[in-house]
Amino acid sequence: MRITCPHCGARDAQEFTYLGAADPQRPDGMAATEAAMFDYVYLRENPAGPHRELWYHGAGCHAWLVVTRDTRTHAISAVEPAKNRKAGAAA
Amino acid sequence: MAETAISWAPRSAWAGIAQAGSFGASGEAGVTATLLDGFGLATLIAGPHATAALSRLVEVKLGLALPRAPKIVSGATHDAIWVGPEQWLLRAASRDGFQPLLAELAPHAAVSDQSDARAALRLSGRRVRDMLAKGVMLDLHPAAFAVGDAAATIIAYIGVQLGRLPDGPDGAVFEIMLPRSMAGSFWSWFAASAAEFGCAVSVA
Amino acid sequence: MSGQPFRLASGGLIDRAQALDFSFDGKSYRGFAGDTLASALLANGVRLVGRSFKYHRPRGVLSAGPEEPNALVELRSGARREPNTRATVVELFDGLEAASQNRWPSLAFDLLSLNGLLSPALVAGFYYKTFMWPAAFWEKLYEPLIRRAAGLGRAAGLEDPDHYDKAFAFCDMLVIGGGPTGLAAALAAGRSGARVILCDEDFRLGGRLLAEKREIDGKPAAEWLAAALAELESLPEVRIMPRTTIFGLYDHGIYGAVERVGDHLPEPAPRQPRQRGWRIYAKRAILAAGALERPVVFPGNDTPGVMLAGAVRTYVNRYGVLPGRETVLFTAGDDGWATARDIAAAGGKVAAIVDARSDADPVRKGLADKLGARLFVGGVIEGASGGRQLAGVTIRDASGATSSVTCDLLAVSNGWNPTLHLTSHQNGKPVWDDDLHCFVPGTLPAGLSVAGSAAGRFTLAQALEDGARLGREAVAEAGLTPAGAEPVPATDPETAALQPVWRVKGAKGKAFVDYQNDVTDKDVELAAREGFRPVEHLKRYTTLGMATDQGKTSNLAGLAIMAEQTGKTIPQTGSTTFRPPYTPVAIGALAGHHRGKDFRLTRLAPTHGWSKEQGAVFIESGPWLRAQYYPKPGESDWLTTVNREVLAVRSGVGICDVSTLGKIDIQGADAAEFLERVYTNGWKALPVGKARYGLMLREDGFVMDDGTTSGLGESHFLMTTTTANAGKVMQHLEFCHQVLWPEFDVRMVSVSEQWAQASIAGPKARETLRGVLDPEHDISNEAFPYLAARAVTVGGGIPARLFRISFSGELAYELAVPAGYGDAMMRALMRAGAPFGITPYGIEALGVMRVEKGHVAGNELNGQTTARDLGLGKMMSSKKDYIGRLMAQRAALAEKDRPSFVGFKPVDPAQRLRAGAHFIGIGQAAAMENDEGYMTSVAYSPHLKHWMGLGLIKGGAARIGERVRAYDPVRNGDIVVEICSPVFVDPEGARLHG
Repeated sequence: MRITCPHCGARDAQEFTYLGAADPQRPDGMAATEAAMFDYVYLRENPAGPHRELWYHGAGCHAWLVVTRDTRTHAISAVEPAKNRKAGAAA
Repeated sequence: MAETAISWAPRSAWAGIAQAGSFGASGEAGVTATLLDGFGLATLIAGPHATAALSRLVEVKLGLALPRAPKIVSGATHDAIWVGPEQWLLRAASRDGFQPLLAELAPHAAVSDQSDARAALRLSGRRVRDMLAKGVMLDLHPAAFAVGDAAATIIAYIGVQLGRLPDGPDGAVFEIMLPRSMAGSFWSWFAASAAEFGCAVSVA
Repeated sequence: MSGQPFRLASGGLIDRAQALDFSFDGKSYRGFAGDTLASALLANGVRLVGRSFKYHRPRGVLSAGPEEPNALVELRSGARREPNTRATVVELFDGLEAASQNRWPSLAFDLLSLNGLLSPALVAGFYYKTFMWPAAFWEKLYEPLIRRAAGLGRAAGLEDPDHYDKAFAFCDMLVIGGGPTGLAAALAAGRSGARVILCDEDFRLGGRLLAEKREIDGKPAAEWLAAALAELESLPEVRIMPRTTIFGLYDHGIYGAVERVGDHLPEPAPRQPRQRGWRIYAKRAILAAGALERPVVFPGNDTPGVMLAGAVRTYVNRYGVLPGRETVLFTAGDDGWATARDIAAAGGKVAAIVDARSDADPVRKGLADKLGARLFVGGVIEGASGGRQLAGVTIRDASGATSSVTCDLLAVSNGWNPTLHLTSHQNGKPVWDDDLHCFVPGTLPAGLSVAGSAAGRFTLAQALEDGARLGREAVAEAGLTPAGAEPVPATDPETAALQPVWRVKGAKGKAFVDYQNDVTDKDVELAAREGFRPVEHLKRYTTLGMATDQGKTSNLAGLAIMAEQTGKTIPQTGSTTFRPPYTPVAIGALAGHHRGKDFRLTRLAPTHGWSKEQGAVFIESGPWLRAQYYPKPGESDWLTTVNREVLAVRSGVGICDVSTLGKIDIQGADAAEFLERVYTNGWKALPVGKARYGLMLREDGFVMDDGTTSGLGESHFLMTTTTANAGKVMQHLEFCHQVLWPEFDVRMVSVSEQWAQASIAGPKARETLRGVLDPEHDISNEAFPYLAARAVTVGGGIPARLFRISFSGELAYELAVPAGYGDAMMRALMRAGAPFGITPYGIEALGVMRVEKGHVAGNELNGQTTARDLGLGKMMSSKKDYIGRLMAQRAALAEKDRPSFVGFKPVDPAQRLRAGAHFIGIGQAAAMENDEGYMTSVAYSPHLKHWMGLGLIKGGAARIGERVRAYDPVRNGDIVVEICSPVFVDPEGARLHG
């Protein structure tokens, strides 16, 4: 596979580390419930189709990326820095 | 005192690993390697909204503009290499005055001295691209990786900083910086990969 | 030395001036440059080249290409001996040694051919049925017997003496196959200025043009070929790679290739690799891999002398070899007739032509007459005789009458299958074409187009047209402007009518579907009867399509017979999903440089040279080579050395490299808050100039890592991690910052490589250090107390950092200097500590001292332990949120009987403890249900003069004083140990604070 890092350009997948689904949001703070945290830590969708997932460009710019990949074909339709997404959502 | 001064001599990252000379196929060397040492190096990470101020300061002090993309920008005495968003490696040809310079930059950036953290070498020669193709997973065709382009990538499982410098008398010039602790493994790969082209090694 | 009795007097693309001597099964022969091993053997009249896999039947060369199922030989000798090489693609070189496989004692007289007589017992699935009982016989009797009887070649069993390379290439267009289609495509793209890579597995480009007598533009095709190659070579952005097989197609335009750089030489040229594994990144690719001819299933179809008709043409036209004196042609279409024509043109005799089609075509009749061959319209071959060498065939004509014809070569033509393997590597399903009687590529992987025969467009005219058109299209799709179209050259006329014959049911004898795996038509019928009908079941049950050829000549016939059995059509029955690699690939080509000591990278500490000088024994610790211990002359075992090192530290002073710890520079206004969130304990109150021990959990509540973090400035910290987790922690921190809390001003970078760091430990550590630091630094206990962390200088102004932290429990410091000074630092410390008997110590002594102090390390931080398990529950703050907080509070993780951390000592102090021993109550059986935990770390304490252990046991500290068994059946250990505090030495910490 190749992933086009928004900072570095198209790179071999060897440069990246996979983490998993990008959309679960960590329940932050002392008010978070154990149940919500359990969901965040363990429960994942497993779609056959487009999947937003986290990849870490550890051998490049060290950016965590949200990669939208079709799990059936590996076709990648979008790559964006995870940092921008959260900052954008908060704004 | 004299004895103390001698005993605190720094040791090159290449010491015991590589030395000047030549190896591999005889005849005109297809690859030329220059081992670099004694440079100053630091990571700069701009603070929130501080990139502009940092850039201005670097421009004033060193006469070079911090790149905003994977590039290496060279001034008379220093190079700035983009390594990530809002993050650069600043390299000085000499360590004289480097620490005071870093202190001046510190208000605008997280500054971390890395002068001893990397082994570095410069590569050129007629077959340099053929040699690099044995480890670099990037397109180094002249049209794809131009003078001034830079990339953080992997060679032989080693994270490296690769850059293309202005062409020299024997054509394209590439520079590679790699973690100091991995210099031995890197050289093992390099020596195996360059042998078929013949390699001349010098120390800058 | 024989005179190559089957070599034609002239012709062929061989260099008759360059004779090459080689041997097969110890006998010497001569061939020419340009030969393959197969063509040279045939030129010398060698027909019998191997014994079959199961029945040990005599086998000869079937094909002239990579699909060869029979002619598998062991090539070379000694460490370079390579089994299962296909003689049809082995380029002949002077001195080549080859040996036949799977025969004993000799190829001609093979005792195990008796397996053929046992064949009723060796049918499909025989090993599932026959050898099930008695069970004990399997390992001792059946398996060794089967392994000896069935099999392919022998591996060398020695280290491969050759070097292999790995390399990466990029292009606009990759052309797979250098036949007319590929050449036309490469020309169209190359003329447009595209960066083109043209690969062909053969050592000579041209594909079928090398094997056929064809005309292009009214001239012999060879002229067009030479001109095309010359033009391609003149284009600077076109790279031609012969001897290079594209073996796999991967995601996003990545192609795996192997280039046989030195396989055609006795041994690789100096400094050249034997092979080079390529990963090619292509914007577009054109598959122009041609097609593979299909045999017919009939009794005796494996007799040496039965050969594919196209292969016969290859041997005649390309290699100047006539593989038989008297030929019978068995054809199902027009294509086979070219073989009869070419044999006759070369002076050979065609005894009979058996055309399975029932239409009597006057043109064909005329040609048969001209060749002087008997013509059997609507006939089939129903038997072959001769055993080790074809002696004749039985022909059944349209009326059902049979006649015998003497011949030593039977050329079989049954149509071609597109070489579409790569189109299937991403799960693409080939689709059946009723008109072409073959599977053609289905849905194509992104970026790939298929041209010429590989697409089922079998004529030369179609090949040239496809190549030019798709080449131009690919250029446009790669984002370039195609050059103006040139007219497609005209070719001589050809027809491709075909009515394939899947099998001939004969009177007697085995009819092989899969030569390589000895699968017969009866095996496929049996599979159908027993319900193994889906194509995947058929393959597993009968082994059809397995092994080195992966069914290149057999899959379709297998499907056809299954279809016939089940009353379905071929496409209803199934198709084959091909997976990489297309042909076998040596592991060496995939590993490249990375084997032996270069299998993975090795990291050396900046003090490595010094440690080596000191006589250190090194040990791998992840990628690092670390000094394990420093033996002195006269110390015969490691424990003596380690005991000396430990005692030296506890009584005087020792130094140990700790440069390998991860070091992360963390800065920014929110850095302290960030530490609060990633560590379990509090950080906001950490003063500048102080270090603190920190514990980090994973989000699931288990311990991830530990280490000290020091305050270097108001918003500037230096975190240390364990050696093993340095990279993982960096990635975790980046995740926490970028994904969880991007709003934080926190900036971090690894500085692990920048600093050489040494631990100076022991009662004389301070005095030693005083001799190394520049004199202005006050390191008295008052000025520099336990956990102080400050910038200092050494050697007259060299910036350094000093931390008063201790892993050994002694008065100890860690001194860090820029890595280039690491060597000098060790020497300066040795000189300064000389009056106190300073002793270098390795990680073994470090480990002993940490066990003596009951510190947790990697063995305890194993990903399955919580802070509470490790006795570190008090470090979990209840006042703030941090990674892992909630999950660590889960009821099951707080249960009292979770195995938790304590010390162990042998009740009999003379007894040795073993890490990995399991704890079992005294008097209880050593069984899983009585398991109470296990010993994680052990060490011999020269201080206490007995072994001590750390471990995890149910109930933990509440059971101190209790005795249990430490049960270690692997090393026959079963001893009684007492549960104790994990701190064995100086529990008050008096030494630490001294």
